[in-house]
Amino acid sequence: MKRNKYIVAALLFAGLHFQSCVNIEIEPINRVKDTEIFGSETGLFTYRSQMYCELPIEDFKYAHDKLFNDHNCTKSINSLAGESISRDVSGADTEKVGYWEEAYTLIRRANYFIEHLPEYEYIHGPERIKHLLGEAYFIRAYTCFALAKRYGGIPIVQRVLQYPEESIEDLQLPRNSEEETWDAIAADFDYAIANMDETGLRGTANKYVAAAYKSRAMLYAGCIARYNTITLRDNRNTLVCGIPASRANDYFKQSYEAAKIMEGKYSLYLKSWKADDKEAQYKNFLEIFSQNKAADHSEIIFVKDFNEPESVSSWDAYHVPLQGKGPNGYSQETNPTLDFVELFDGIDKDAKGKFANLDASGHYRYFDNTMEPFQNAEPRLRATVIFPGDIWKSMVIEIRRGIYTGPITGGISRFLAENATTAYTSTQVYKDNKLILSADANQKPYEISPGIFMNPAGLTGTFNSGTTCLTGFSLRKLLDESVPTELVRERYCTTSWIDMRYAEVLLNRAEAACELFIAGEGNAYRTDAYNCIREIRQRAGADPLNDEVGINMDVVRNERKKELAFEHKAWWDMRRWRTIEKEQNTQVYRIIMPFYIKENGKYIFDVRLDEKNKKYTFNTKWYYQEIPSSEISKNPNIIQNPGY
Amino acid sequence: MKTIKQIILVVLLMSGFTSCFEIDNYDEPKETLQGKIVAKNTGAPIQTQTGSEGIRIKILEYSWSDNPTPYYFNCIQDGTFNNTKIFKGNYNIEPLGAFVPLLIKDASGAIVKDETKTVDINGTTKLTFEVEPFLNIEWVGEPVKNANGTVTAQVKVTRGTDHQDYQKNLTDIYLFVSNNSYAGNNNYISNYSTKETYSGNAGNSVLGATVSITTKALPTDRVFFLRVGARIDVMTDGIQRYNYSTIQSVDLR
Repeated sequence: MKRNKYIVAALLFAGLHFQSCVNIEIEPINRVKDTEIFGSETGLFTYRSQMYCELPIEDFKYAHDKLFNDHNCTKSINSLAGESISRDVSGADTEKVGYWEEAYTLIRRANYFIEHLPEYEYIHGPERIKHLLGEAYFIRAYTCFALAKRYGGIPIVQRVLQYPEESIEDLQLPRNSEEETWDAIAADFDYAIANMDETGLRGTANKYVAAAYKSRAMLYAGCIARYNTITLRDNRNTLVCGIPASRANDYFKQSYEAAKIMEGKYSLYLKSWKADDKEAQYKNFLEIFSQNKAADHSEIIFVKDFNEPESVSSWDAYHVPLQGKGPNGYSQETNPTLDFVELFDGIDKDAKGKFANLDASGHYRYFDNTMEPFQNAEPRLRATVIFPGDIWKSMVIEIRRGIYTGPITGGISRFLAENATTAYTSTQVYKDNKLILSADANQKPYEISPGIFMNPAGLTGTFNSGTTCLTGFSLRKLLDESVPTELVRERYCTTSWIDMRYAEVLLNRAEAACELFIAGEGNAYRTDAYNCIREIRQRAGADPLNDEVGINMDVVRNERKKELAFEHKAWWDMRRWRTIEKEQNTQVYRIIMPFYIKENGKYIFDVRLDEKNKKYTFNTKWYYQEIPSSEISKNPNIIQNPGY
Repeated sequence: MKTIKQIILVVLLMSGFTSCFEIDNYDEPKETLQGKIVAKNTGAPIQTQTGSEGIRIKILEYSWSDNPTPYYFNCIQDGTFNNTKIFKGNYNIEPLGAFVPLLIKDASGAIVKDETKTVDINGTTKLTFEVEPFLNIEWVGEPVKNANGTVTAQVKVTRGTDHQDYQKNLTDIYLFVSNNSYAGNNNYISNYSTKETYSGNAGNSVLGATVSITTKALPTDRVFFLRVGARIDVMTDGIQRYNYSTIQSVDLR
């Protein structure tokens, strides 16, 4: 026993002393090292994929109440912009979730990439390194742009912050001025434009992608400088909300120049387009979006691909017309308003520019069918919304509010007064049993003539309640018509999101040019704006503009609303123009309701305020959104935006 | 064994109580800050709506930080405020509402005017802020009941300040109808209330004149509260705020 003790003691003694001779300076083999990521193409691909995945793209999986990458986006910001109304959107609103922490995580990833990648130049070569760095600059700019348009000035972080080497107090960065923020975004895009290759992998940035986004971002900045009236300074006297108006022209020029770089590099999609052929122009406009995976698509600049099974959305399931309802039971979340439809050409309008549904004596006009008022509509409009009675997925999309059974001698007078929000079920004509409506989709056929029955409402609506078409129109744009109904399910949609297309670049260029012309920078800008708008309108099949004298801000902005409708752009555009508070000031949007006339077998269209009486009032404090309060508790140097 | 179980039980129970014996290292806030916002020239209280879009009081506590996070509370609709749960300390107090701001900075951020108040709050602190409202809204007579069930109100809207930056266009006059006495832009019945909207400078010709606004047809079984709000195209604290008349009730029974 005693001997054993000595042995144990000796072993322990020796063990303690020999240990120090072993080299423990080896890197842990169970962790991925920088050399493995930055030293190999596969490693780089992984790192960059992560960044692109986290990019704040407002695609099919973005909604104001969920933010990015959410599968269950039944709402969309299209229904905040007056383009459409939705049963799930009760009125004007703003984003319900803050976007901050995720943004700075992504910015940190980009900064880490920028700081460490140059150490591996010996592997990738200087040219490749330049392009890759450009991607990180692009990602940082894109992310800061998403922050700036929401919050104004933000803390600009262009290096990897080190904790715990730096103290918390040193890392509690204050907000930079809004001007500095936009300038930093411009500088990052400029780096990308100057250093990147002309092409890159699909879904990643290149020189021209960066230029396109620069034109978008600088348009924002210019509008803030010109139209914003909310200002805020923090205790360092930094102007965190608002940009001096004197900077407006500079930003618009940057936007214009960036858009001009793109000339000749991309072009509008015209594969199926034919002059003076409305059907071909309609098909062509649909193909811009249905050909979203085509490699030779000349208009796509930046795309986020959706593919089964690794990345899918639920867009089709939520936004198809009721007749195309899939197995999950959703549909009809987007109902384009008449106010939106009236922006387009080819519809019979009265002196006020509104759809002419009444004759000279103030009685309803008769139409042979529900498609008649839209037979000459601009092809772009037909490719954007489904008219009542138009064909979609080989179905006639039947939209009818009810059947009028009353007398028609002397004409039919309006069912309700102009600007009334009364439900049809409360009108006198309904109480007199002259209006046959349907409570919901379980319809009771009405005998319109002996032995011949007709459902009061169309198959897609409109019913008094429940899931139904709310406006007389349904969405066509961005819906995949090739998918059979049984596959219109949540998390099945594989339509790729075109985040930037050449049409927007032309519109950015036209808008910046028009702003510069109005600011007195010369007639050449107006000519250029006119040419851009002409190109867009020609492709769309719209009526040509008379001449360039007709170019003004309204023309340019309306063109943008029409061309980019339902692409999640209009709401942000109206915000930066600072016009949304004027439009949405106890605003109720207008709808159009077709009725079948029993006496003569024709249709009338009742134009009225939304029957659901959804009132839109935009709160001006939303121009600068609320910074998440958790960020302010973490960092007392960040000052909250006004009004929160 | 029995005793051991009892001991364990007692120890467990005691552990449950321990957290109750912790004492907060701060005294509870029990100082009072109260006061009113009045018009500079007439001394009349500034009418406002309830909630954060009426007048709200911004306070900055400088006792322990020179860059404090602001704390806000809202005025009562008659232009008074009363907060009985304030920590003892040194504060800067600035009301924000539909009147010429008390703190104005020029384009470079230099302070042009500062009529905010910095005080030590200890016990009850009473403050009166004299401000220049953008608009004054006065009733002209009582609201009149019409035969068709509507009610017509007459008001006179005048500018309350000659500050040149706050002579912007009148954008709307709103007759708010409510079931309770808190009528205002955040509490009205939209089916009964009426809004007159003016585009461009069209509204300015209404200033100083007597304006009649009529509600929609009202049910005749109750008392309604009427109030008129008007605003100019100026945002304070991010929001285009209303100036208000006093509240009148109309008994339609």
